[in-house]
Amino acid sequence: MNGIPKDKTPGGLLTRRGLLSGAAAAGGVALAAPYYIRPAGAQSAGRVIYATWGGSWEEAIRKAWFEPFTAATGIEVVTAQDNTYGKFQSMVESGTTEWDVVEVNPDFTFIGAKRGLLEPLDFTVINREPIMEGEGFVTEYSVPQVLWSYVLGYNTDLLKTAPSGAVDMFNLTDFAGKRSIYSNPNSSALETALLADGVAPGDLYPMDIDRALAKLDEIRSDLIFYETNAQAQQYVSDGTAAMLIMPDGRAMSAIESGAPVAIQYNQSFMTWSSMVAPKGCPNRENAMKLLAWTMTPEAQAAIANAYTYGPVVPAAFDMIDEARANILSGGPQQQGKFIMLNAEWWAENYEDATERLTEWRLM
Amino acid sequence: MASGFLRRHSASLMLAPAMLLLAVFFLWPVLDLVRGSFAHPDGSLGQYERVFSRPAYVLVLQRTFLISGLTVLICAVIAYPVAYRLATASTTGKLVILAVILIPFWTNLLVLCYGWLIILSPTGTLNKALTGIGLIDNPLPLSGNMAGVLIGMVQTMLPYMVLPVAANMARIDPRIPQAARSLGAPPLQVFLRTWLPLTMSGVIAGGLLVFIMSIGFFIIPAILGGTKDIFIAQLIEMNINKVLNWGFAAALSTVVLVTTLVLYGVGVRWFGVDALWGRQ
Repeated sequence: MNGIPKDKTPGGLLTRRGLLSGAAAAGGVALAAPYYIRPAGAQSAGRVIYATWGGSWEEAIRKAWFEPFTAATGIEVVTAQDNTYGKFQSMVESGTTEWDVVEVNPDFTFIGAKRGLLEPLDFTVINREPIMEGEGFVTEYSVPQVLWSYVLGYNTDLLKTAPSGAVDMFNLTDFAGKRSIYSNPNSSALETALLADGVAPGDLYPMDIDRALAKLDEIRSDLIFYETNAQAQQYVSDGTAAMLIMPDGRAMSAIESGAPVAIQYNQSFMTWSSMVAPKGCPNRENAMKLLAWTMTPEAQAAIANAYTYGPVVPAAFDMIDEARANILSGGPQQQGKFIMLNAEWWAENYEDATERLTEWRLM
Repeated sequence: MASGFLRRHSASLMLAPAMLLLAVFFLWPVLDLVRGSFAHPDGSLGQYERVFSRPAYVLVLQRTFLISGLTVLICAVIAYPVAYRLATASTTGKLVILAVILIPFWTNLLVLCYGWLIILSPTGTLNKALTGIGLIDNPLPLSGNMAGVLIGMVQTMLPYMVLPVAANMARIDPRIPQAARSLGAPPLQVFLRTWLPLTMSGVIAGGLLVFIMSIGFFIIPAILGGTKDIFIAQLIEMNINKVLNWGFAAALSTVVLVTTLVLYGVGVRWFGVDALWGRQ
């Protein structure tokens, strides 16, 4: 099994934030020149420029998607890095769009659409039929890319009995030990608090942030925030925290590296990454062809076999063996246990939620 | 005539390319940023009203300034003797001290943070060693709180304190303390009445430098800090890259910029900080 850690959640790319810390304070955003990688012997059917989170993820999609796509169509896929929203906006607004397809978190499919930064997708080329049902999953401007989840990860040295779900995250009597959640508010911690407080999954949105924060008060003295996913993995592995709401891929990496860690899938929150085309993208037609390619069961199975993300096309599970399917988001192990994060609500309320969580942390 | 003009203005002319570069690539973007902070549908001060009316921002600014201030104080206490040794050491000694100060300075910030995390966490090397030899019963809370942030920030900022102070000390005429000694002053008096006052401008210059750089920090408080350790740079980044509210990010940045300029002004006006950059 492939144990590549995932770092795709908001703010997961620390190198980018590191660079920004200086620049942001000075008030400027340094726009680094895009770094293009050109595969040798590219054909002449044109190209498509794909902005990615990079790293091991980029290697995986190159093998699972781009190489077979180029072999079949002759269209060269050129990757670019540094796919931040800030850079996205400055490119489109200055009329210098260099990218054709961009990987984003699902909130951006709404934020970007509202700000007029996105090109409508051509659903006569892209077949949306086989894609999983879900609110805000496919939009006029976006298709989902892969699935992943926030799960309850816990340290089995510290917790001898398995926590059952949201309620036990707040049960410090039977499950003593530090709790840890992501510093970004849209990482299902507030939702988990509401579930523990008795809100039904169907009534979570629009979310009562005050009620969620009041519930978090109960574990305030035992709560620590993690800022990067690597940190979450470190915390659960070394026991800095006994129970965390963390990305499934990071919990699995911890388990694979031999740490005393287990996952509870009950009341896990499923989310996804999306793909969009920026307004004014130079190779629009090729972009639609590439997106269509990635939405086939074959392409989805290929990436799910290469990386621990679930396929957004359920038919892909026919091409994934059972052991593998069981560790993937949307797989049999998670069925009936997960709730979908509401990307549209979060796109509209992220700023307010961040302000309130910040105030909660400091007061 | 012409050669007279060139001679008189040769310094300015040589500086011109650098100044032009700064004007185009630094000054203009910064002014544009400040201008952007006044663009708001609810009137030109709308962004600033929000900065000062929502408790989040005032609290985070307070926290940023508090931790930056503490970093300056701790750096000053640690750096002062190191700087003295650096200023008075032999050439080899200087090299050794500089290497010790600068190697962590050249280390990637993330590597540094995770390194500290491994050392400082409750199950980390340091706590295991201390409990192992029976010195403490329960692990010391050294990470996930302000102590963690200060350890990380002081280590990173130390060179910015040591170097100005050492430069200042190297310029002090050694005959002044010698004179004090020869006139019968005990060592403590010599230090308090000659050495300390003469080196204060170096300490203040270093302190300002450390403070100004500290308020822009991001990674260290995020990784080594606790629930309350949020720095303003984190909120600026969120507004730039998450919610694309650049006007508000500009207002937050302007608040930090103005604070920095005011502090620098105070340093120049009352503490002769510009002596550090060569003013006589």
